[in-house]
Amino acid sequence: MTTTLANAVTEIGPMHYMILSFIVLAAGISTMLTKRNAIGILIGVELVINAAAINFVSSWNFYHPEQLDGLAFGLFIVVLAAAEAAIGLAIILNYYNNFASVDVEKGDDLKG
Amino acid sequence: MENNIITLLTAALFIPLASAVVVLFFGKNKLGNNTSAWFSVGAMFTAFLCSAAAYIQLRSLGVNVESPRFFHAIDWLPIGGGEYLQLGAFVDSVTVTMFSMVTFIATLVLVYSIGYMDGDKKFTRFFSYLSFFTFSMLGIVLSSSLLQLFVFWELVGLASYLLIGFWNDDKEGPQLACKKAFVMNRVGDLGFIIGFGIFFVKLGGVVTLPGAEGLMVDGNPIQSMLGSLNHLLAVESTAAGLTGDAVYTLSNPPMWLTGAGIGLFFGAMGKSAQFPLHTWLPDAMEGPTPVSSIVHSATMVAAGVYMTSRIFPVLTPGARLFITTIGLVTLVMPSLIAMCVTDIKKVLAYSTLSQLGYMIVGIGTGAYTFALFHLFTHAFFKCCLFQCSGSVILQAHHEQDMTQYGGFGKKMPMTMIAYGLATLSIAGVSIPFTNIALSAFYSKDGIIAGAYNYSDAMGAAGYAAAFLFSLGPVVIAYITPFYMMRTFALTFLGKPRNQEIYDHLHEAPKTMWIPQLILVGTSVVIGVFFVKDMISPTQTAAVYANAQNVAELEDGHSYGMHTTHVVLGYGLGSLASLFAGWFIYKDGFGIASKIVAIPGIKQLHCLAYNKFYFDQLFDNFAVWISKIVATISGWIDAYIIDGIVKASASLTRGIAIIVGKNDKNVVDGVVNYAASAAQDLGDVVRTAQAGRIRLYVMLMIAASTLATIIVTILSIFYSG
Repeated sequence: MTTTLANAVTEIGPMHYMILSFIVLAAGISTMLTKRNAIGILIGVELVINAAAINFVSSWNFYHPEQLDGLAFGLFIVVLAAAEAAIGLAIILNYYNNFASVDVEKGDDLKG
Repeated sequence: MENNIITLLTAALFIPLASAVVVLFFGKNKLGNNTSAWFSVGAMFTAFLCSAAAYIQLRSLGVNVESPRFFHAIDWLPIGGGEYLQLGAFVDSVTVTMFSMVTFIATLVLVYSIGYMDGDKKFTRFFSYLSFFTFSMLGIVLSSSLLQLFVFWELVGLASYLLIGFWNDDKEGPQLACKKAFVMNRVGDLGFIIGFGIFFVKLGGVVTLPGAEGLMVDGNPIQSMLGSLNHLLAVESTAAGLTGDAVYTLSNPPMWLTGAGIGLFFGAMGKSAQFPLHTWLPDAMEGPTPVSSIVHSATMVAAGVYMTSRIFPVLTPGARLFITTIGLVTLVMPSLIAMCVTDIKKVLAYSTLSQLGYMIVGIGTGAYTFALFHLFTHAFFKCCLFQCSGSVILQAHHEQDMTQYGGFGKKMPMTMIAYGLATLSIAGVSIPFTNIALSAFYSKDGIIAGAYNYSDAMGAAGYAAAFLFSLGPVVIAYITPFYMMRTFALTFLGKPRNQEIYDHLHEAPKTMWIPQLILVGTSVVIGVFFVKDMISPTQTAAVYANAQNVAELEDGHSYGMHTTHVVLGYGLGSLASLFAGWFIYKDGFGIASKIVAIPGIKQLHCLAYNKFYFDQLFDNFAVWISKIVATISGWIDAYIIDGIVKASASLTRGIAIIVGKNDKNVVDGVVNYAASAAQDLGDVVRTAQAGRIRLYVMLMIAASTLATIIVTILSIFYSG
């Protein structure tokens, strides 16, 4: 199935999902860049990861629905995101114990 | 079936090793005393079950002349020319019987140790050492070649060193005793290595046990020591131009062959404590009693006898004469000492020496089947006797002198029953005028038959002292009941000679007297049920055609004939001897001291009481010589070797100074420059690593964007 500009307007195809995924990616990256709150950054990371997951699942659905690779990767990403969140929160907890804050700008003890 | 048996025996070999390792590393801290002890017992019992299964399977294949044998080996060390030294297993009826016996006795000794070693601070380590000891002995029994056997041989030496010196913390006795045992064994092993070396070089590295001769593996016959030897003797005869009767054979051997056989036997003299290397065995009594009971029955002293009987087919008449003579001295002398000493464990130690003498005489005279049988029967009752003596010693607060004993039977009935039955077993008591008897009767009888036979053959060959070969074993068979009854009467009968010890006596704990009763029960029945077929080593024509031994026993003084010979006298004689022992010692030393005062007996008693001055001989002569050697080598060390060392040291120092200058200026310069350059670079780069997370994110995105752009450009460039 090829996607042209004409049917892109009339029916939902892979291009729509890629645009969605790009938007989510951009939102995630800008969150990571602008937020000073560590939890906010963690949310940004989640967005980036889910952007990748959307790409995987849509590509699987439109291009190779007979193979389960894309779906499997989607599932793996969900698991990975959960693990990432757990570790991230643990880091934030430790960070809070050390600096009494979740502001990432405060943690500049490294003498760069 | 073959693989089955070998798998079972391999399992029985490694299970004790595994339990030794586990108990050594985890025993004290993780498992605790009680668990590790019963774990060791359980492992050893599993090994016994494996051995027993192997025994039953092998027996089901048939017995007697064409006894089944198996050989399985893998390549081990290359020795050039595409040849390998092999690591393997040789299994025949002797192997499975020894396996069952060793694991059975080790299991009971471990159970006994639970009671005996109670409260010892190295409790778990003791069990680990005992398991390791058993593993080493089983390794000897399973070995397929002399070299492999020697590896385990040394492990047995190590384990005995550890165990004899087990109580080495604050006492000097065990420290000296374990060193003595080790050094004496080294002396014997030197002979073993020389004998082994001669065989190894002459036979081109073929050291597979002679018993494997004629076996087929994968369609190829095994090359054993025996086959190679016969081939070599033929080659040597041709080279020397010998014809007719002068051709070299095993009965008309070249000198080196006799020498090599005697050399190998020297190893057995160390391990099996034969004269004159016997003095370590009585001293080994310094170890805990369970050690004595296993060393004297199933493991260490058995190793020498086992090895000698395995190499029997390659022993020459000269070597056999040497072996018989040594065996005879070891048979007679300790029996006389055993009649005089009053330390209960020492009496048992000398009695072991004497019984080992029987076995070695048996091998030398060709009745080696019975030597192995005697080893087997002896293991059970001697293990039991030592365990009983251990119970007595423990209850008497480590008093070992029988002058302080007397009347213990009333307070320790179970121990008395076990000790009494074991005494009758070692005496080989039989019902007069029949051949129904306890175990040692059958095995000693075979050895005596062999000795008669050998003495006839040697007498016919014009050897003047030949009559001694038959006289010695017979006389000692009458003396053994006497001195064993003496220890029994002095310990368990009569009135207490030390009231204080007597008042504190109790029966030993169950873990101690139950193993004793099991052992003595086995000892009583094995003689009757297994009489002669118990151990029938591989007797195929291929193996023993040249050795001229088994047949001798059959047509000379054969077993049956000899039995009729013996039942007339021996049944009554041994009872008389037992009665004499009981009568003289039933009330302590009163009658004995009158007998000892008779001139003639007095001098002999004095000699025997001082153990024929062998310890003094070694101390004053051997130790003296080694001190002189040490002084001379000390002088050479101080003036000659040190001089050379000092000269080379100052030369080295001169060179070092030159090298040092070069090092400082040239080499260090390069290194320092590289280091400062790296530091400058680091100063520039480290500004990026300041812990500012958003900077990281930005750099990451910039880098991945840059990478995407480059990849895109490159792909366009290459595809276009």
